[in-house]
Amino acid sequence: MTGTATRTLNAARLQLIPYQTNRFLPWGILGISFAINLLIYSLLGPEDRANGFTGGLASIYVVFFAAYVRAMVQVFPFALGMGVTRRRFYTATALLAVTESVAYGVILYLLRLVEDATDGWGVSMRFFGITYLVQDNPLLQILVYAVPLGLLAFVGVFVGGVFRRWGMNGVYTLAIAVIAVLGGLAALVTWQRWWDALGGWFTDQSPLTLLAGLPAALAAALAAAAFLTIRRATP
Amino acid sequence: MASAVTFHDVSKRFGRFTALDRVGLTVEENTICGLLGRNGAGKTTAMQILTGQITASSGQVHVFGADPYENEELLTRVCFVTESQRYPDGYRVRHVLRAASWLYPNWDGDYVGSLLEDFGLPLNCPVKKLSRGMRSWLGVVVGLAARAPLTVFDEPYLGLDAVARQLFYDRLLADYVAHPRTVLLSTHLIDEVSDLVEQVVLLDSGQVLIDEAADTLRRRAVTVTGSAAAVEEFTRGHVRLHSEQVGSLARVTVEALGEAEHAGARALGLNLESVSLQQLMVRTTARRATPASAVGADATTKETR
Repeated sequence: MTGTATRTLNAARLQLIPYQTNRFLPWGILGISFAINLLIYSLLGPEDRANGFTGGLASIYVVFFAAYVRAMVQVFPFALGMGVTRRRFYTATALLAVTESVAYGVILYLLRLVEDATDGWGVSMRFFGITYLVQDNPLLQILVYAVPLGLLAFVGVFVGGVFRRWGMNGVYTLAIAVIAVLGGLAALVTWQRWWDALGGWFTDQSPLTLLAGLPAALAAALAAAAFLTIRRATP
Repeated sequence: MASAVTFHDVSKRFGRFTALDRVGLTVEENTICGLLGRNGAGKTTAMQILTGQITASSGQVHVFGADPYENEELLTRVCFVTESQRYPDGYRVRHVLRAASWLYPNWDGDYVGSLLEDFGLPLNCPVKKLSRGMRSWLGVVVGLAARAPLTVFDEPYLGLDAVARQLFYDRLLADYVAHPRTVLLSTHLIDEVSDLVEQVVLLDSGQVLIDEAADTLRRRAVTVTGSAAAVEEFTRGHVRLHSEQVGSLARVTVEALGEAEHAGARALGLNLESVSLQQLMVRTTARRATPASAVGADATTKETR
């Protein structure tokens, strides 16, 4: 019971309780979103279906993000009270985020295969195989689904960690800082008339860089920032 | 005996507020120590520091010889039960117990059953729906069944009625005898635990006022009652913790007297009574709170009239 692996596993299990809500809820919500879209598509004429895709997939990303905010805001203080260290909790959360992202990526990939095989669920609906997400290589496809999920998880852990360490004031300060930095950058780009060049740079990048490479780099940066924040967070 | 907990010159500041002010104390292994004090005295802060929840601003804290902060190996041997424990949404009683069984190596699942029965705690009930008393009892169950070598209870009795509190003290004592460990218990209900605790630490405004064996402490102060003149004469030269006067009668609480003085008091026709821990605490802390000890006495006298 005292091995490092066991401890990490236990700290991760705390976050899965209650199992039904935390692991099936994202898919339940995705299912509802799917059903609504399916209904709408079945009412559309063939010409309306032709080029569209749905945004229903976004729901799972939102729920995923929320789950990791909960981990920090609610489960972390409980775990600390039960003698789990910050470092162990963080390690467990990070491993869980990576594992879950990959698992979700695999499931989404399999659903995309079903979607392809059934000609869009019989109504030419592209729910999982959204045009700009589609990759031919299965591994790359899984990455394209998984990496943005992982990014959102670490955004959640970081924001939740900021809340735990500095409270709501910390979160507000963070939000203001992010807006200021992004706004400042936008002003800079406008002032220097770099928009065309920037747009060109984005167009030059492979979808893989945009959908997996950059989010992975950002997720890694957030993971490091989250760790530094959590090291001194209190329940 | 080895020390379970030592504080050396420990201070904790929150901004301008000093919660602990150069606290030094030692709790020996396998004893029950009562941490007493008024609201805001620093009891919870001290407990949070020694269980690694927060860090001290300065000074050294050792638990079983090691710094508790982020000390994983150590913290599995420490169980902290606090009335302010947070439980995640969706957690039910059984989830908390399951989590505790994963995290505490000495967890006794069989013992849990009988503790749950004591209070009729429903396993399937969401923790958020429990009454204040039931939540407290859930903490008690975790604290006792964890059998942690250092068990820290921070006011574990909130919302528990007198019967339930007695049940807790009985259970704690029985389990302590069967499985000796170090127990640190903070409370306002001093007289209720006075037979339970072996060591008493009294905090006031972040400082240790008293740190003594409970036995010694019970003999530490006496109340002298008799005619005002005789009492005045007898208690002159003693540290007066409290005094009150009604008509020609006076009651003065003084620090410990020797055998000879006991005899002298009886010869003067004075009555000597031992002071309960609670009275001693009230007298000691009130004296500090209001430098003119007469203020407390006036209030008491008015009540008496």
